[in-house]
Amino acid sequence: MIRGAVAIFRRDMKKFISTPYVIIFTLFMPIMYLIIFGNAMGGTITNIHIGVVQSEPFTTETPLFTSSVEALKEFRSAPDKPTVFRVTVYPSEERAKQVLAEGHTSGVVIFPSELPGDDTVRVYEDSSDYMVPAIMEGGIKAAVASTGATNPVEINRIYGKIEYLPFFGVGVIVMAIFMTTMMGGAFALIRDRENGIIEGYLVTPVKRSSIILGIIGSGTVRAFLAGFIIFIVDILITGIVVRSFDQFLLVLLVLFVSSIGVTALVVSVASRFNTQQEYASTVAFFNLILFMTSGAFYPVQGMPDWLRWITVINPEYYTVDALRSILLRGQGLSVIWIDLLALFIFSAAAITLGITTYKRTIE
Amino acid sequence: MTDEQIIRLEHLTKVFRNNHTVTAVDDVSFDVRKGEIFGLLGPNGAGKSTLIRILTTLLAPTSGTAYVGTYEVTRDPENVRAIIGVCPQNSTLDVELTAYDNLDFYGRLLNVEEKVLEERIWELLRMTDLTDRANSRVSTFSGGMRRKLEIVRAFLHRPLILFLDEPTIGLDPDSRFEVWQQITKLNTEKTTIILTTHYMDEAERLCNRIAFMDKGKLIALDTPENHKRALPAGDLIDIGFDQIDGRVLPAIRESGLVTSIEEKGKSVRISAKNGNSVLPAIIGIFEKYSVPMTSISIHSPSIEDVFIYLTGKKLDSGEGEPQPAGRGRPS
Repeated sequence: MIRGAVAIFRRDMKKFISTPYVIIFTLFMPIMYLIIFGNAMGGTITNIHIGVVQSEPFTTETPLFTSSVEALKEFRSAPDKPTVFRVTVYPSEERAKQVLAEGHTSGVVIFPSELPGDDTVRVYEDSSDYMVPAIMEGGIKAAVASTGATNPVEINRIYGKIEYLPFFGVGVIVMAIFMTTMMGGAFALIRDRENGIIEGYLVTPVKRSSIILGIIGSGTVRAFLAGFIIFIVDILITGIVVRSFDQFLLVLLVLFVSSIGVTALVVSVASRFNTQQEYASTVAFFNLILFMTSGAFYPVQGMPDWLRWITVINPEYYTVDALRSILLRGQGLSVIWIDLLALFIFSAAAITLGITTYKRTIE
Repeated sequence: MTDEQIIRLEHLTKVFRNNHTVTAVDDVSFDVRKGEIFGLLGPNGAGKSTLIRILTTLLAPTSGTAYVGTYEVTRDPENVRAIIGVCPQNSTLDVELTAYDNLDFYGRLLNVEEKVLEERIWELLRMTDLTDRANSRVSTFSGGMRRKLEIVRAFLHRPLILFLDEPTIGLDPDSRFEVWQQITKLNTEKTTIILTTHYMDEAERLCNRIAFMDKGKLIALDTPENHKRALPAGDLIDIGFDQIDGRVLPAIRESGLVTSIEEKGKSVRISAKNGNSVLPAIIGIFEKYSVPMTSISIHSPSIEDVFIYLTGKKLDSGEGEPQPAGRGRPS
């Protein structure tokens, strides 16, 4: 019995040691977890962008306005931590609210004018975000209080009160797309190569681009269906509301373009791999880093700068952003076109990369 | 390239550099003529499959050039792929698909016209006796059934040149015979066939010309008849007797008809270039000295004898074919 067990043990260890690539990536995973979870999730959220305005009629800046803005700029969660808010002064209430509606700021603080009887500090906040509204509310109240003023603070949640479940539900749609992609098209590519099936069709006149496009196509359909099913589940259990048929179609468009982008990314990564092990360990790593930085379940503002850069090239970030804009904030194409454009550019780049890196020989 | 040639290899070399360097194909040059069945023989690891992979554009040669049709394999791989059909040594069927779907998939990859594809698939399924299993998954098929399906898949699109790498490996005698018939039939339809095999009878029966490879080198190329004729021993004649007259063997030796005589107890083994025509004269000598013969047998050397003579080893010995880098599963 022992001899057999030792034989199996030795065989597996030999295989393990002969695949350094897999070892590196399996070690990489927990290290990335440590960095992302430890650094981003545990760290404080900073760099929250808020707009400030003094309400009309505007003649001179009131002492309340100047000292509160100063206090907001200097607000920290603890004396040794970085400042929390990035403050921009807007010339008018209208303009500040417009910027907020476009999603460029997380909230607007409107300070009262000099007129008697007007002493309420009004706050309008993007309530579709998670954690950020609460931090903002606390910070603004503390900043006003620190000036010695006793003005009441009125909080307006522009998208109503949103629970964590719908916030997270949107992120899970993206996860469904990614998981399906992992096991879908690109996986078939690796299996064909590993089983030697590829040798059969590489000697036919089929073009490299045809192989990649076909695989991306089938993967996209599967990923889209998965995303769609989770979307329906979200509507049923998380309380996400689809307000109109146009909105429904827009969600489908975002899901479809995202499916192309993510599938193409995974296929382009897979196009050079020979074994399922290499592929699985790499894609699991990608899955982690893309999902973590997508903002699906933790606000991007909480991440360190270097990690935030990944969001810029992360297709899942744009998907999450677009879906939240539509489903939680009720915004339309005028706001999410930039997300769609980013996804299109990303998809085109990934498809091109997949085709050019695909190995047409078996060597 | 002349009109007669359809494949030409010029100093083709393939070196694999993994942990250790393996020269799988070593400076090989030869032509294949239009319409012939060309046999590629050699022990395991001789470089036959590597050579076929180069000719079918799966591997790039390290040096040298190869033309298939009028196209150079590294410069014009797409045109090469359009005129060839390949049955690789290892199964490349998708076992999760049905027999029909496997052929349908390749039909589309091979640009077989939509309107003739279905009819062609059924024709091939009939040919392989798989009509009633057309909609079964290939994973439920026996090794022989899979092999036959793979072979017909290679000529689904009626290619100009057909590469068959060990086509009958693992087939029972009946199936082998069917495959041979099929190959012969295709050949009469002007398809040039390049065949690698381990079976000597197969090569001898089918091939117009046979190339012997060993350790990556081409060691001989000729028709089966010429190969045999090239053997210095020629045909072997064994004559048995009870008692021999001491004058018989010197007389045969002096006749100049034979190349060697070897006496072994109550029989003698005579080697002669043209056994059939010298045998009557030899019998005449025995009769002249009134030596009664108890048995006479004559046999021609087989291709296997040629092979043993050329390489000094049996075909089935030797090491495994070197695998190209990066292939996951060794065959």
